[in-house]
Amino acid sequence: MTPPRFDDLIHPSTRLSLVATLAAADWADFGYLKDALSLSDSALSKQLAVLEQAGYVVTERRLDGSRHKVRAQLTAPGRTAFDGHVAALRVIVGDASAQPSSGAGAAARTSGSRAADFIRSNKST
Amino acid sequence: MENITPMDARLALDAVDHARAQVVGEVGLPRWYWWLMSGAWLVLGVVGDIGPQWLAVAATVAFGLVHSTIASRRLSGRRRTDRLQVSAETAGRRVPVVVIGMLLGLVVVTMAAGFALHADGARHPGIGAAVLGALLVGVGGPDILRLLRRWARA
Repeated sequence: MTPPRFDDLIHPSTRLSLVATLAAADWADFGYLKDALSLSDSALSKQLAVLEQAGYVVTERRLDGSRHKVRAQLTAPGRTAFDGHVAALRVIVGDASAQPSSGAGAAARTSGSRAADFIRSNKST
Repeated sequence: MENITPMDARLALDAVDHARAQVVGEVGLPRWYWWLMSGAWLVLGVVGDIGPQWLAVAATVAFGLVHSTIASRRLSGRRRTDRLQVSAETAGRRVPVVVIGMLLGLVVVTMAAGFALHADGARHPGIGAAVLGALLVGVGGPDILRLLRRWARA
């Protein structure tokens, strides 16, 4: 289990959702991330650039037909940082003994409304 | 970190779970898989009902070969769209088992419908049953799989 380590770079809500999405996937397309996180092209590019600069994410430009598509992928250091951050959040909540939620069922049971509140409250970040 | 209250941390964890749940929602099989399966269901029903026996056997073998080829690449449920690939850990290992179980269940339903139609004196019970099976697979396939995954917690 990854030791708790609060990560200021990941914590802002948009970036946290972005990293959490990438942590659950092998890779994600720019368009998918844009839709999933309700971000504009420029806002998503900015967040990806920050994460890429930190070495948490790699992006790859691929030619799909006549269009270029960008894929983003979490790196190993990015995954470690994310796992550590989630562990740190659990410590703060006082739920350190709980295992990170895993499996489709656990995630699907989660209420999205409180998450949406969190995202709204940090949208300016 | 000192400024983060337990409530803030809880909201952040909820956001993480919400993002993960969104990705989990992408687990499944591509739409074309269900339509292909639906078409094959219909063809097998028609061939089995009015075609010669050798053709029914050949069609069944061909179906098995094509499906196993597709299944080896898609049945994990991680590549429903070309917009993302769900990680193996997120998708879990039970999706293929659920899909196969679902298809076997639909075969049983199709056979039961065929026997019922035959007992009722229908002229082409195999075709009637195949139409029912094809509709269930083609139209309801994604929803049935979603429901079964929820039940199986897969």
